Amino acid sequence: MERRVVLPGEKIAEGRINAPNTFFGDNTTYAAVIGMVDDEGRYIPLENRYRAMVGDVVVGIVTDVRHAGYEVDLNLPEGGFIPTRDVRLTLQLGDFVICRVKSVSEVGDVDLGEVRRLPKGKIVDFPSAKVPRLIGKKSSMINLLKDYAGGDIMVGNNGYVWMSERCDMPLLLKAIKLVERKAHKSGLTDEVAAMLSKERGARPERAPEEGEQIQGEQYG
Amino acid sequence: MADSKGTKMQLIIDGKRTDGRGAEDLRDLRVEVGVIAEADGSSYVEWGGNKILCGIYGPRECIPRHDSSPYHALVKCRYMMSPFASLEEHGRMGPSRRSTELSKVIREVFENLIIAEKFPNTQINIYLDVLQANGGTRTASITAAAVALVNAGIPMKDMVSAVAVGKAGDVLVLDLNKSEDNFGQSDMPIAVSHRDKKLLLLQMDGLLTKEEIMEMVDMAERGCDKAHVVQADALKRFYERGEGESFKW
Repeated sequence: MERRVVLPGEKIAEGRINAPNTFFGDNTTYAAVIGMVDDEGRYIPLENRYRAMVGDVVVGIVTDVRHAGYEVDLNLPEGGFIPTRDVRLTLQLGDFVICRVKSVSEVGDVDLGEVRRLPKGKIVDFPSAKVPRLIGKKSSMINLLKDYAGGDIMVGNNGYVWMSERCDMPLLLKAIKLVERKAHKSGLTDEVAAMLSKERGARPERAPEEGEQIQGEQYG
Repeated sequence: MADSKGTKMQLIIDGKRTDGRGAEDLRDLRVEVGVIAEADGSSYVEWGGNKILCGIYGPRECIPRHDSSPYHALVKCRYMMSPFASLEEHGRMGPSRRSTELSKVIREVFENLIIAEKFPNTQINIYLDVLQANGGTRTASITAAAVALVNAGIPMKDMVSAVAVGKAGDVLVLDLNKSEDNFGQSDMPIAVSHRDKKLLLLQMDGLLTKEEIMEMVDMAERGCDKAHVVQADALKRFYERGEGESFKW
C-alpha cells in the first residue's frame, strides 16, 4: 500500500473531511500534525498531543486525595478529577486507576467516572497517536502481548499503558517499543508475533487470571 | 564595506563569496529530529557554522498561573547563545538585550503558526540553544524550532523556514555568513511560511532601495523553499524508516 508523509499545512483532501488533527480553509482540508495519507486518502496522524474526549477510557495515577475527590495524573497539562460522591471505593495516593472520561470542560478540566482500581503493576508512557496500533484490529495486538507476557495489560486512550506485576516486563517493553517505532507500517502484528516467538517460542495459552481482581464497579 | 570601527573586508572576489559560494547558494544544511529523549519534541540543526539544539516541552501547566489564558496556549521561547558559541563576547549566560529580542521575534513567528486554541490554560516552551554561531543563528533557530514542533505533535497551520538575505560588496546575497553579516552593507533575516508564503519575520539593518527589498524577498522565498526540502526530508527520514534511535552525534 502506497503511503506518503504529510507535514503540517499540507493538503489532505478537497472539501471538508471531519478528522481530528486537521483544519479547514479555502475549501480544502489540511493536516495540522505530521501524518500519513494512504491510497484511499485516509489521514493517520503520526504524532499528536492527547486531548481528552468524553467516553475515552483512560489509565491514570492518583496524585492527590482530597475530601471532595481524587486528583488523577492523565498525561495531560492538568489532572483529571474523580468526585468522591460518584465512587464507592477508597483510593490512596499512587493508586493506578482505569476510568472513563465523563465530561470535559471548555478549559480542559476532566471529570472521570466508572472508576476501577488496577492491581499492583507498572505504568509506561506510550504516544497516544499510536494507541490504536497497540490494541490492533479486534484487539489482536493486545491479546498477543497478553499471551506472551503472562499477565494483564490495560491501554488508556491517553497513552498510559498499565502492566500487571505478573507480566514479563523486559519482553513486554521490548514489544511495546517495537510497536512504537513501527506504528505506521502494515503487518505489524505479524512482525511483533515473529519477534516474540523468536524470543520465547510458541504462543502460550493465556494463563487464567487468579487473585487479580479489579476492584470497582461499572456505571451507566 | 566597513563596520563602525572602520574595518574593511573584500566580500566578493571574482564573483564568488568569501566561502566560495555564488550569490544565491545556501550553506550546507543538516537537520536531525528527535535528539533529546525526554523532550516532547526536539531537533538539531547544523547550518554552515551554526549548530543549534532545540527542545519543545508542552502543552503543559502554565507557570506562573496568572499568565495563562483560558482561550489559548501561551507560546514561550527562550533563545540562548552559549558562552563558547563564537569568538566574540558571549561570555555571560542568561538574558541579554540581544537574546531577549531574538526570543521575542522567534516566539512571534510561532504564535502565528501554532493552533493554540486547542490547549487552553497551558504553555508551550520552545528552548533554543546556540552551540556554535557563525552568522544567521536566528534563521537557523526558526528552522530548527519548526522541525522540533512537528516532532512534538503540536498542531500547526503551516511549516516555516527562514533565511537571511543581504547586500555585500554591492551584490545581493542569500544566507549570509558571519563576515558578510558584520562587514556587509545590509542584512535582512526573513521567515516565510511554506504553504501560503506569509512573511512571519522580517528584520533589516543597513540601507536598501525599494527595488532591492522586493528582489531580496523573492530571493528569501527561494532560499526558504530549499531549506524546507531539507526539513521535510529529515522528518520523512525519521518517521518513515524509524531511524529515531540511530542518531549519532
